[in-house]
Amino acid sequence: MINLEMSEQARVDGRTANQLRPTLCSRSLLERAHGSARWQQDNTIIMAAVYGPKPVSGKKEDPERATLEVLWKTKSGIAGNADKEAEVTIRRTLEYIVLSSMHPNTGISIILQVVNDDGAILACAINAACAALVDAGIPLTGLIVAVSVGVTTHGVVVVDPTKVEEKNFRAHVCLVFPNRPKCTVAGLPAPVGGEPAEHGIITCVTRGAMSVDEYMNCLERGRAASVKIAKFTRTSLEHCQRSYEIMS
Amino acid sequence: MAVEEASGSASVVKDVASSMEVEAFRRLFPLQYIERYLDSAVRPDGRPLGRARPTDVVLGQVPTTDGSALVRLGNTTMLAGVKLELCVPSAETPDQGRIAIDFQMPPICSPHVRPGRPAEDACAINEQLSIVLASSQLLDLRQLSITSGKSAWVAYLDIYCLNADGSLLDAALLASAAALMDLQIPTVSINNDGKVQIVSSREKQDQPMVDAEEGQETKSKFVEGRSLKLGPVPVALTCMLHKKHLLADPTAEEEAVLQTVLVVVLDSPDKLISLYKPGGQVVATTSTVMDCIALTRLRLKEVHSILEEATQTHEED
Amino acid sequence: MVLETQKALLKSDGTRLDDRLPTYVRPAFLKTGAVKVAAGSAYAEFGSTKVIVSVYGPRESKKAQAFSDIGRLNCDVKFTSFATPLRGKAGQDIGDKEFSVLLHKALEGAVDLHSFPKTTVDVFALVLQSDGGDLPAIITCASMALADAGIVMRDIVAAISLSCVGKNLLLDPTYKEETQEDGSVMVAIMTSRREITQVTLTGEWSSTKASEALELCSDACQKLGESVFLVPKVCIEEIGNFAIFQLPRPPLRN
Repeated sequence: MINLEMSEQARVDGRTANQLRPTLCSRSLLERAHGSARWQQDNTIIMAAVYGPKPVSGKKEDPERATLEVLWKTKSGIAGNADKEAEVTIRRTLEYIVLSSMHPNTGISIILQVVNDDGAILACAINAACAALVDAGIPLTGLIVAVSVGVTTHGVVVVDPTKVEEKNFRAHVCLVFPNRPKCTVAGLPAPVGGEPAEHGIITCVTRGAMSVDEYMNCLERGRAASVKIAKFTRTSLEHCQRSYEIMS
Repeated sequence: MAVEEASGSASVVKDVASSMEVEAFRRLFPLQYIERYLDSAVRPDGRPLGRARPTDVVLGQVPTTDGSALVRLGNTTMLAGVKLELCVPSAETPDQGRIAIDFQMPPICSPHVRPGRPAEDACAINEQLSIVLASSQLLDLRQLSITSGKSAWVAYLDIYCLNADGSLLDAALLASAAALMDLQIPTVSINNDGKVQIVSSREKQDQPMVDAEEGQETKSKFVEGRSLKLGPVPVALTCMLHKKHLLADPTAEEEAVLQTVLVVVLDSPDKLISLYKPGGQVVATTSTVMDCIALTRLRLKEVHSILEEATQTHEED
Repeated sequence: MVLETQKALLKSDGTRLDDRLPTYVRPAFLKTGAVKVAAGSAYAEFGSTKVIVSVYGPRESKKAQAFSDIGRLNCDVKFTSFATPLRGKAGQDIGDKEFSVLLHKALEGAVDLHSFPKTTVDVFALVLQSDGGDLPAIITCASMALADAGIVMRDIVAAISLSCVGKNLLLDPTYKEETQEDGSVMVAIMTSRREITQVTLTGEWSSTKASEALELCSDACQKLGESVFLVPKVCIEEIGNFAIFQLPRPPLRN
């Protein structure tokens, strides 16, 4: 009940609790990269570039699959522990969709440059990386969609928090779900435990403390919001696909 | 826990397995080796799927620190030490001290760590630890304050992994919490100018005499040494997801093969400090998440009683 | 001033602050198999100096290294930040490097590098707590860890250091004694072969003093080596690994 009341109430930037920020996605912006994408959620902007599959040497080479490498570049350029952790999280998330066994003995590099951070940075980066992988033509099992959800000090759940909101909130969560409306690839997990496959959590990163119920609430809201982002990603990709067709 | 027949491994492998020594099978088909155990709802080391390894906490192991703890979780061993130094609190938080967390994986701990730059895993765990300690109410930084705006303690918490055999975050968090429990803030004297000095108990008795000889009117104020009052201790449980199985507290061998990991941190049965699932081949459904949280609840109770026991034995010594 | 320092380190009855005679070593504790995931490991305590050494390999050499027909011994020493009373600072790395080189030199002579051609054996040490005599503790501990890993060695290496403070020679000095020393000696010996693998001598020494110091050290090493022998033996019997670890039995002396 409280949630319903609060969702009517405007946030600092005038949005309702379930409202996402205006989202933009453009691709193939970088000349030299094999694939690139720019993902923008209002003031949060991420630039992603994909290089590969390319030869790798030494310990990174795997005779059975392509190795993924994620480089996280902040504006300051100094890599701290937080950046390393983001790299690990994003790499393991992308490994879920990249068909790495198609290109053994090679490497795929994904470079994520933070252009501007105004909250939900990890979710933006994952969406940008996914779009850039598509742009580079890397074989994928499907798409993924990332969404950020915050819990206010009153326990109200709002989606896509800004930096200021993240700071004032008690907790925030980044959730990644599969974006797979029509599954055509064989061998992927069918609906599990009575839940559709796109409800499964690929990645979850939480910051701050919350009750278990609040977390479940976040999951529900996150799933609802992810549907909207998923739809946006698909239309945005199809749009590009069509323009390719026209060109050729 | 629901254990169902896993889809049978390739029949070829089964044929080979029957004519092969266990140790060779383990090395050549690590996944099938573990799956065979999982199918009978048991782990290679004989544990049931949901049980953590025997845990052992010893406080006050390193006399050169202000607080230290040695934690063993099966073979995984962590040594944590806290050292206090004086500092000037920052302008934004004048009544708070500081804590600096450093998690180290020296090359002795695992065959995968080589000397040189810190490993990626070590950085990720370091960050996770900092976030968990910041999110939980274990340590109120105001307790590290001496005089507001003038002086405070900075606690350097260093955790060394001596033996890396899986579930590193669980062990590192437990070692950090235990070291903070063991932490003794030394007695300090504050003189007229607000200058803070650490005094040992022996010096404390001498000091007023020295001041009297110099004929100064001493206004040195003593702040008695104390231990910290900590909030509820957060407890982490690493869970591995594989097919429909859910394994708690994996060993390094299991972590390497099973890939999908989910770490739950609780500090009371209903308060979630962190839920970290970095990708992997298995997606977690709501019910899986609930199962992991339920396992962590059990572990929480277990770890809290282990810590209580450790404090008691330490006090008796 | 000299008198004062001596007074501080030696009590009136000629014993040291920890009740040892100048020619006594600290109680030591040695154990193999401290790190389960390593090929071989050992833990050593000399008084309150505590070190862990683990050995990995023989395994693939780093790609960057040039081809080598014989095996490589790679040593790395690290200190915990709380090993010393003052919290370790970033600059300590230089000291670690020097220790790594010295450890390598002390072990090189004892390890049969021809037995693992083209590969590397890594010897990693972590000093948990430092209270003087760190290097000899690491060397002794490392040679035990190598034996535990089944690396072919000519002999166990035992090492001891000695500080010269004024007129006194203090065997196996503590950190406090080391800070006041005028000179120091460290000797590493393959005990049953009675061969020295490393001697370091710093400070000002008269030749008589120096030979007296060396004599003391090698005697202590000999005794230490005999007791060290008992430790890996137990462990080797446990894993039934006699063939790899071939050592001439030391002649038993009283």
